[in-house]
Amino acid sequence: MLDLPVNEAVTLADLTRDPYPIYKRMRAETPVVRVAQTNRIFVTRAEHTKWIKETPEIFSSDDPMTPMKPAFQAHTLMRKDGDEHRAERMAMQPSFSPKVIRTDWGELYTKLAEDYVSRLPRGETVDLFKDLCGPIAARILAHMLGLEEASDEEMQRWSQRLIDGAGNFGEDPELFRLSDEANAEMNALFERVIPRHTEQPNNSAFSVMLNGRNPIPMSQMYANIKIAIGGGINEPRDALATIVYGLLTNPDQLDEVKRQDVWLDAFEEGVRWVAPIQVSGRRTTQEVQIGDHLIGPGETVMTIQASANRDEAIYGADGEEYNVFRDKHPHQAFGSGPHHCAGAQVARRTLGQIMLPLLFDRFPNMTLADPARVIWSGFGFRGPLNLPVTLN
Amino acid sequence: MAKITFVQPDGRRQTVEAETGKSVMQVALAHGIDGILAECGGAMMCATCHCYVDDDRTGTASEGEEDMLDCAEAEVRPTSRLTCQIKVSEALDGLVVHLPEADE
Ligand code: HEM
Ligand code: HEM
Ligand code: FES
Repeated sequence: MLDLPVNEAVTLADLTRDPYPIYKRMRAETPVVRVAQTNRIFVTRAEHTKWIKETPEIFSSDDPMTPMKPAFQAHTLMRKDGDEHRAERMAMQPSFSPKVIRTDWGELYTKLAEDYVSRLPRGETVDLFKDLCGPIAARILAHMLGLEEASDEEMQRWSQRLIDGAGNFGEDPELFRLSDEANAEMNALFERVIPRHTEQPNNSAFSVMLNGRNPIPMSQMYANIKIAIGGGINEPRDALATIVYGLLTNPDQLDEVKRQDVWLDAFEEGVRWVAPIQVSGRRTTQEVQIGDHLIGPGETVMTIQASANRDEAIYGADGEEYNVFRDKHPHQAFGSGPHHCAGAQVARRTLGQIMLPLLFDRFPNMTLADPARVIWSGFGFRGPLNLPVTLN
Repeated sequence: MAKITFVQPDGRRQTVEAETGKSVMQVALAHGIDGILAECGGAMMCATCHCYVDDDRTGTASEGEEDMLDCAEAEVRPTSRLTCQIKVSEALDGLVVHLPEADE
């Protein structure tokens, strides 16, 4: 057994700017390492991250200190384990099932996507990130959750404030004030739409939870919906922007994707290449060996799926590149184990089967004049912050 | 060890030696059987390990498994099971597992 190495050099600012060269080096030299600045243990190899997520008895999601609690004004399913987690998750899961996506959301999303894409001005340069990726992700989610009354702008604002609050490890009171304000607005809307859902149930998450056989407590329904608002907008938004960037900077691949009609592959490769959620934390419940190192109980272990998704052991030497036509291997962008993403099928269908083909059909000669102007950012959540494309 | 046969929708059959104690899903992954993704790694949270198993020896699906099966991609039938919830034992020798139609 070896002493756990400590990395004193890496800062959150470095990781936010570009974590990939750092992870590449960690995979090679220190695949299990304490990063001093965050006081968390980073695990960067695919075999370890997958095993950790699939071993919840030792690596718990329950973190009593998480800022997610004040940010959501609740202890949410993301931070629970075992039966309690399953009960809350399954209360909502039917809304996101392939069947309901086919019967309810597929057609609606196609209509919404056509509507949002047709609003884009041909011949002009727009920020696709701001003008399409964010609003369309917000709109479909509002429908899926049963919150059609909320505007795109509200959904996006709530989502951002929840995320900022959940990541508020510095306990800045202003960030919690903003998330409190968002919580109050959301709660008011939830109360308003309850009668609609009890009188006219549909397949939205709120309806399904309210009208379930053994409904979970109302407070947990609220928390679940908020988790979906926090988690269901930014990831599809960032994924869409990432994939469009990948295709526009690899025109030969784009041509081939069109020819073979393999938009789902373009989607999977995009989220593999830059995982929208890069990192997931777990807390050790006992002493445990990871690789060559013994880790004590009560440690926070960061499983870095962003790194696992580029692991040389799986992807060889070119894992750093966007390549739709690489040999297929499972990736970890949706996590694994009990907390495997509840919205994975929704994201695949809405983005891979509907949005991408539609967008490139409408604007077949879309160009990204200057890829260097695209700013990438993020440690916990990552994607482009802008995407200035010319629509043609 | 037990022999398990996987049958694809097009009739293609693959018989493999399955290690006892593993789940049928793990056996399928180890042998690269098409149609079993097992995205959640056996946590009964994804239904991408769904198969049809018409064999009393495997017992019946738990309530949690039934709920998750409702979220499966392909048609759910009375014989539907999540293969991550079936444990291989000597008693299952000769088990036949039918894979569902792929999407689209
Ligand atoms: C799609 C669902 C989500 C995934 C996959 C996810 C993943 C995670 C995990 C596992 C951690 C653990 C970090 C730790 O223990 O220190 C985490 C922390 C965090 N959560 Fe969640 N979460 C999700 C939803 C949310 C939501 C809904 C929010 C906010 C509303 C959020 C914001 C954060 C942020 C910013 C962190 C800080 C990362 C860090 O620990 O440094 N996440 N997230
Ligand atoms: C490309 C898009 C998406 C990506 C890459 C993504 C990724 C993830 C990941 C990595 C986790 C696991 C977090 C952990 O292990 O702690 C997660 C959890 C979750 N995701 Fe997603 N997600 C996406 C879209 C969505 C959408 C559209 C929804 C809502 C409809 C959603 C809802 C959730 C929920 C509710 C959880 C928590 C599950 C649990 O704790 O049991 N996600 N997501
Ligand atoms: S592997 Fe996910 S439910 Fe069986």
